[in-house]
Amino acid sequence: MATARAEVIGLLDAFQAAERAGADAVGRWIAACVDPRLRGGLRVIQSRDRRHAALAVARLRALGGQPVAHVGRDLSALCGVVSDPGISDRSKIALLLSRFPPLRDAPLEDLVRRVEGDAETHALLETIGDDERASLGWLRRMSEALARDGA
Amino acid sequence: MREDGPEAVLRFLDDLRAAETAGAEVLAAWIAVCGLDGLRGGLRAIGEREAAHAELLEERVHELGGTCTAAVAEAVRAAALACFGSPAMADEEKLALLLGRYPDDTAAARPILAVCGALAADPETQELLRLIAEGEGATVAWLRAYQSGLRPATTPD
Repeated sequence: MATARAEVIGLLDAFQAAERAGADAVGRWIAACVDPRLRGGLRVIQSRDRRHAALAVARLRALGGQPVAHVGRDLSALCGVVSDPGISDRSKIALLLSRFPPLRDAPLEDLVRRVEGDAETHALLETIGDDERASLGWLRRMSEALARDGA
Repeated sequence: MREDGPEAVLRFLDDLRAAETAGAEVLAAWIAVCGLDGLRGGLRAIGEREAAHAELLEERVHELGGTCTAAVAEAVRAAALACFGSPAMADEEKLALLLGRYPDDTAAARPILAVCGALAADPETQELLRLIAEGEGATVAWLRAYQSGLRPATTPD
């Protein structure tokens, strides 16, 4: 059954708010990060998150909506930790990875599944999900590298 | 100048930036005339991915002391824009043309990963390129999966 347009707009709005908050938090992490490996990958993640937010805003506007959502308390707290220069890189990565079960590699799977009957939005989110999957995989590899380094 | 020295790396980054910029431009032209909703949605995200890569590479070239001067040959760029921006050419044909350049999903990432392997002294650029390479692979994989979905199922005799 097709997802109602208002529901799709709501999902896109929540997503754009989350991506924007994430990009801002990662930007502050990069500013304080002294590990060049992490900075290199985080820069890609931040750039993509910012563009994902813009894509979601453009799509929800095309569907007749307006971006009004703000992130909830949990995500806001997570962004606070990611932004905090006093918390180690390893702890930040562990916290981010703890949000996803070890064998799960499709962070947007649930969101994509919820958008039915709107092929353009479905494909947009599916393709954005590929970026998120790459980010998650990279964070896992960095977690292992930092553990090997004893960082 | 040594071919594997910093100048060669800068040239690679700048060439890749130019290719990604042109790719984003061509994708925008395709999106403008794309008649398939699902494909258009995917192309929008892929186009932004290409534009993000170009922007990141430009920043990195500047940080490493280089300047961005590379450009895709105008004749090549114009031909690609005319082809992929043509409303008369079917999306299926454009997909086949694009994917014909990549024999498998890793073909687009391989040249980038090859440079990554030689960048041990510059881990920031190395990881940046590694994620860009993954993005290129994801683009080809998504387009190929979409193309497979367009093909009519064959029924056994």
